[in-house]
Amino acid sequence: MKFYNVKLLTVTCEILAQKNIIEILKKHEITGYTTYEVEGNGARGLRGQGFKNEKNVKVEIIMREDKLSDIVEEISRTMFANFAIVLYVSDVGVVRTEKF
Amino acid sequence: MEILQLIQANLLTPIILFFLFGIIAARIKSDLKIPEAISEFLPIYLLAAIGLHGGIEMRNAGFENMLIPMVVAIGISLLFTLNHYQILRRLGKFNLFDSYALASTYGAVGAVTFSVGLSFLKNQGVTSEGYLAAILAVLEPVSFIMAIFLTNMAVAKQIRAKKQSFTNDDVSDIEMGLQETKTKLSQVLHESITGKAIVILLGCIVIGYIIGEEGFTSIKIVFDGMFTGAIVIFMIEMGIIAGQRLDDLKKVGIFLISFAIIMPTFNGVIGVLVATAIGLSLGGAVMFGLLLASASFIAAPAILRHAIPEAKPSLYITSALGITFPYNIIILLPIMFVVSSIAHDVEGSIDLFNYITQDWT
Repeated sequence: MKFYNVKLLTVTCEILAQKNIIEILKKHEITGYTTYEVEGNGARGLRGQGFKNEKNVKVEIIMREDKLSDIVEEISRTMFANFAIVLYVSDVGVVRTEKF
Repeated sequence: MEILQLIQANLLTPIILFFLFGIIAARIKSDLKIPEAISEFLPIYLLAAIGLHGGIEMRNAGFENMLIPMVVAIGISLLFTLNHYQILRRLGKFNLFDSYALASTYGAVGAVTFSVGLSFLKNQGVTSEGYLAAILAVLEPVSFIMAIFLTNMAVAKQIRAKKQSFTNDDVSDIEMGLQETKTKLSQVLHESITGKAIVILLGCIVIGYIIGEEGFTSIKIVFDGMFTGAIVIFMIEMGIIAGQRLDDLKKVGIFLISFAIIMPTFNGVIGVLVATAIGLSLGGAVMFGLLLASASFIAAPAILRHAIPEAKPSLYITSALGITFPYNIIILLPIMFVVSSIAHDVEGSIDLFNYITQDWT
């Protein structure tokens, strides 16, 4: 089977920043993403204790390479300073490239 | 003397004991935890119970007498928020964002604190006006809206000043910044008004108003009989969260710690006196004072993280939850109760005096 190369952008951030991420995606016309609640430790301390508000969330977005740098640029510019956030990009293969 | 006795008695009530127990559990690093679904459910339940009671009592007492206390509460809440900002910015030397975030956290109301207050009054055998639940709902977004508006104004001013100094700068970028602050405010308005706390509270006030005392009898066992018990369970969770945050107190600094104690005391006592002056009952004045004294720690992060993301959440959550909440429910409630009793006594004697002089003339 033939796999097409696309990018997987993974963002781990505080749950209250999830909305910002999704708004940025919307602005770049990306509607597909997957989120799940996670816990962990990082520069801003242990996350995930206490109220639901203080949990972390992991957002996975598969996209074509041409949109990637704009989105990453916007996330870094608007969110890195104020939120607990980590992002990384990986190469993945998909079967139906027209979906992304 | 009376105050100390009341504080001592208050310390030994189930609510406070369970709260302290939660703190101890967190300090000894126990894995005790209230399941997430329950700790999310309990605030909704508490607000539903408060709303239902409020609605039923408003049906009995009518809306008219609610208007003045509500307007007064909104006015005082706004004034206090401005006052907090000045103190934090000038004396505390916090930056603009932290000052506004903290000012609004302390200007806003705490629903959990409100529930504890109701159960404290129940314990003392005193009732309070039901419409205070409606004031709780209205006060919730007020101080956030103002703080966010003022923050955005200040930011816009800074951007404009920069624009003037670099006339050849990228104008579109600056306009975008101005636009962003505008949309932010409407988003916050929408978010705070459709937020679950206000929706459940207002919804239950309406339902309580419709069903009245009669309709309530069938659900009384859940929303009346279990109220204090539910708070007690929630207090374990609150204690655990507060206990986990005790380490962060060092980061908060001595200024904010004293602010988190002195400010609620000042606000609360003023609130009690004002409420007495506009004719609220003994219990009502305590609850009115508590509304103004309490700080928001569940709604605040959800709103402020979006509206003022530059502000450090560790400051406003830790001070509101780790210091002000325990202080309010353990020490300030009895103080306000005593102040309210004295104020009502004094007013009672004045009334009596007037009555007698009227009789004489």
